[in-house]
Amino acid sequence: MSDKKFEIISLTMRYWFIGLIIFITIRILIETLRTSHHHDYEDEGPFGHIIFFMVIFLTSAYALLAYSNPGRFDKYTAILGLIVGISLVVQYNFFRLIFPGMDRILLIIVDTLTIFGFVMLYRFNPDIAKSQMKYFVVGNAGLLFFIIFTHKMRMNTILSNVLMALACILLLLPIIFGKETFGARSWIPIMGYNVQPSEFVKIILVFVFASWFREGKKFREHLPVYIFAALTVLLVVLQRDLGAALLYFYIFIFVYYVATSDWIIVLLAGGTAALGSIISYHLFSHIRVRVEAWKNPWRDIENKGYQIAHSLMAISSGGLIGTGLGLGSPQVVPAFKTDFIFATICEEFGIITGFCIIGLYAMIVIRGVSIALRSKNPYKALLAFGATVALTLQAFTIIGGVIKMIPLTGVTMPFVSYGGSSMVTSLALVGVLEGVAIGTKDDNDEEDQNEDDIYKEDEYEENEYEEETFEEGV
Amino acid sequence: MKGLEKNLKKGLAVLLAAFILLGVYYCYILFFYSDRWFANSYNPRVKLDAWEPKVIPGDIKDRNGKILATTIKEKRQNPDTKQKQVYYYRSYLGGGEQAKSIAHVVGFNDAKLGRSGVEALQVKYLMGYNNPFYEKVYQKIFLPQEVGNTLHLTIDSDLQQFIDKSLGKNKGSVVVMDAQTGEILAMVSHPTFNPNKLENVEGDILLNRATEGLYMPGSIFKVIVAVSALDNLENISSITFDCQGVVETGSQSISCYGGEPHGQVDLSQAMTVSCNGYFVDIANKLGKEKLLKTAEALGFNQDFIFPDLKLVASRLPLKGNISEEKLGLISIGQGDVQVTPLHMAMVASAIANDGIMMEPRLVYEVVGRNGKIQEKLRSKIYRKSMSSENAKIIQAMMENVVDTGTGKGAAIKGRQVAGKTGTAEVYNGDSEIRNNAWFIGYVAGNKSKIAVAVVIEDLPAGQTGGKLAAPLAGKILKKVLDLGY
Repeated sequence: MSDKKFEIISLTMRYWFIGLIIFITIRILIETLRTSHHHDYEDEGPFGHIIFFMVIFLTSAYALLAYSNPGRFDKYTAILGLIVGISLVVQYNFFRLIFPGMDRILLIIVDTLTIFGFVMLYRFNPDIAKSQMKYFVVGNAGLLFFIIFTHKMRMNTILSNVLMALACILLLLPIIFGKETFGARSWIPIMGYNVQPSEFVKIILVFVFASWFREGKKFREHLPVYIFAALTVLLVVLQRDLGAALLYFYIFIFVYYVATSDWIIVLLAGGTAALGSIISYHLFSHIRVRVEAWKNPWRDIENKGYQIAHSLMAISSGGLIGTGLGLGSPQVVPAFKTDFIFATICEEFGIITGFCIIGLYAMIVIRGVSIALRSKNPYKALLAFGATVALTLQAFTIIGGVIKMIPLTGVTMPFVSYGGSSMVTSLALVGVLEGVAIGTKDDNDEEDQNEDDIYKEDEYEENEYEEETFEEGV
Repeated sequence: MKGLEKNLKKGLAVLLAAFILLGVYYCYILFFYSDRWFANSYNPRVKLDAWEPKVIPGDIKDRNGKILATTIKEKRQNPDTKQKQVYYYRSYLGGGEQAKSIAHVVGFNDAKLGRSGVEALQVKYLMGYNNPFYEKVYQKIFLPQEVGNTLHLTIDSDLQQFIDKSLGKNKGSVVVMDAQTGEILAMVSHPTFNPNKLENVEGDILLNRATEGLYMPGSIFKVIVAVSALDNLENISSITFDCQGVVETGSQSISCYGGEPHGQVDLSQAMTVSCNGYFVDIANKLGKEKLLKTAEALGFNQDFIFPDLKLVASRLPLKGNISEEKLGLISIGQGDVQVTPLHMAMVASAIANDGIMMEPRLVYEVVGRNGKIQEKLRSKIYRKSMSSENAKIIQAMMENVVDTGTGKGAAIKGRQVAGKTGTAEVYNGDSEIRNNAWFIGYVAGNKSKIAVAVVIEDLPAGQTGGKLAAPLAGKILKKVLDLGY
């Protein structure tokens, strides 16, 4: 129980928080729309101040949480908030300086979402927030690694075959060694940590699909990938990880269609998936339970509908600007740290914040696809697109499930939910996106040097395509 | 490369569309449903804590200021801490037996059993969740305990108790509402329970029959068929039917009450004597689509989302393949058509109010700690159900029913009552026919028109709407007039 002083401060600070959140979201939105269509990042205006507002949000939230224990101001919490805030500024500037061509707004969006996670998790339990910070550090190493990997590594058949084999092995591990948790068998214990391989496989899928579909090969030549895609989906279904199965399917469908414009396979895969869902609906009781809980969670609140009903009650309890940080009852929502973190954010920060978060993911869509559009290399474009699909549709799947728009499938909310596998994978996918962005920038720089005399700046955009043909001719 | 760019843009469009859909759905669902989700009796945030409540729930009063529910403090032995502590509980209408009359509409808020009725749905106000920021801060600083707000209902507890007594031991429900504003003056469901003593309440007693009870409407459904006929059949005034006492529709025969032939009847006469044959014939002439359209304009098959109360949807299954037999049965209110008493009161109101159906209202105003009115009832039109000309024609017919027809029992001396009786035949578990007796109607009061719906269920054969429900409705309407409405 929190004391009255804390309650009053928290009630008051709601206005401060909601103002900051709206300001940050609108600033990001403006910058996203303003720069998305630009040819490259040269003339992007200054928006480094957004990161400062984010850090202000973070530190003031931590300062508030420092009051949450009755009777004393917890200095440690406040200092931690400050350290994390400074670290984020350092992280942002580090990436900005060593990779001048990177998409800085994307990084800002990702950091904003991460901050929501840090604040909410610290509010639940300081220890898990600290773990999450560790995962974030590891994730940033992953981010750095994948920027370089994407940028420097040339994909070839051998590498993609190795990756495919690796994916299958990773997915087999939990089936062999895993323990069943929450009805799914998708975790393996490694050195005291529970690791979820199906998360990491998403990265592999993005690379494999992009490398196979980059050239419009014939149906027969693609056959191994179809089998691989079906196999991975099957393996996660065996783990009872429906969310991952759905995501793999999305990644395949989207990347495949964008690469080949081939409706037949897309419809075929869609049909197979629909048939599979119908069959599994009739075969497996746990899937029926999910669908029933989605149709009417209120009929059986104590059992089947428990999760969704409590999630909806939490969302509706906050009102427009929330109950105030620390004043809600998120603990009554099941899986409030992971899958249902969106509901608890809505409760304490309000419906408006929930809407802003949906908007932030939508902006990742815009940033991601515009990175793909800018890239002149089909493989890289597909890579960027695949990573965007993986990140954003995962967010869509879980938010849609939490607000009862679609049946709930347990996936984490990228960057926000508690969990190391999820955090590292999500940041690695951002690394893929940034790697593609940097590659484009470098290519453009070379081009500019070669062709400065021939083309003037303003003709450049119009003649983009002719230019490419010209390039190939050379 | 060009194809790829085009496809990427398509991909962008699909992904963005998904998120726009997500955002729109999020706003839509929260706008319409968030109050209901919040008010769910499983929501632990607004639970009444018996020993150390953070918020003391506010009072519920009726439209005349009589206290229907209040929170009582009492020193009791806490079984957990073994100490004398202040115990909080809700007390209804003075704490005695008379609270039975308001049990369903006000509901209860019990530390163990949860919440129901107004106590559940309006918990946001009662627990002070709607308080503005400064009020919340003020209460935290200056009050020993936070307090909720007072709710004034549109219910008249005197009328409510009168109806409760008049129903006696009968099972059923009565709804009285102001046809022009939608205010519900009384809503009674029988059998009832004492909300002050919840220990032995079992079975369907907790069911609020007025809003959750689905009944076959019987002949009162003919009103809806008549509205549809007036709307859709141009030569309706010249259509007559030669009633032989029995009518064949498809493979079945439907007889009029007692097998009595009514001879040549037109719409008005058929309504007055409640002739089944005429309405089976008219329904066939109309066809299911037109009948469905009229019924839906009158609220059938609609998910009612009202801010003040939860109302189960009335069902009229006329979609898909409907045989002539089924349509025939439905036209006289038998078969698969199911309605709630409150919805039928709304139908009566729509006719009384010249075709405009008002949203039913239960909350008159919300009053804050200092007597400041936070919310006040604003009447809202639910929908325009029929043209005012047709409503006036139906009004005249319903007046005839009470003056000379099956509804004579509802007549009040010196006042024009209008109405329609109904008797639905229901097979119970032992394949024995039981009757549900219905009456819907209205009377012009001193200020407004007052509509009423009465249903008495599970009656032996021979007990009809005309015999039982109409006199009860008349008695209730007379009381309404005596009370000055």
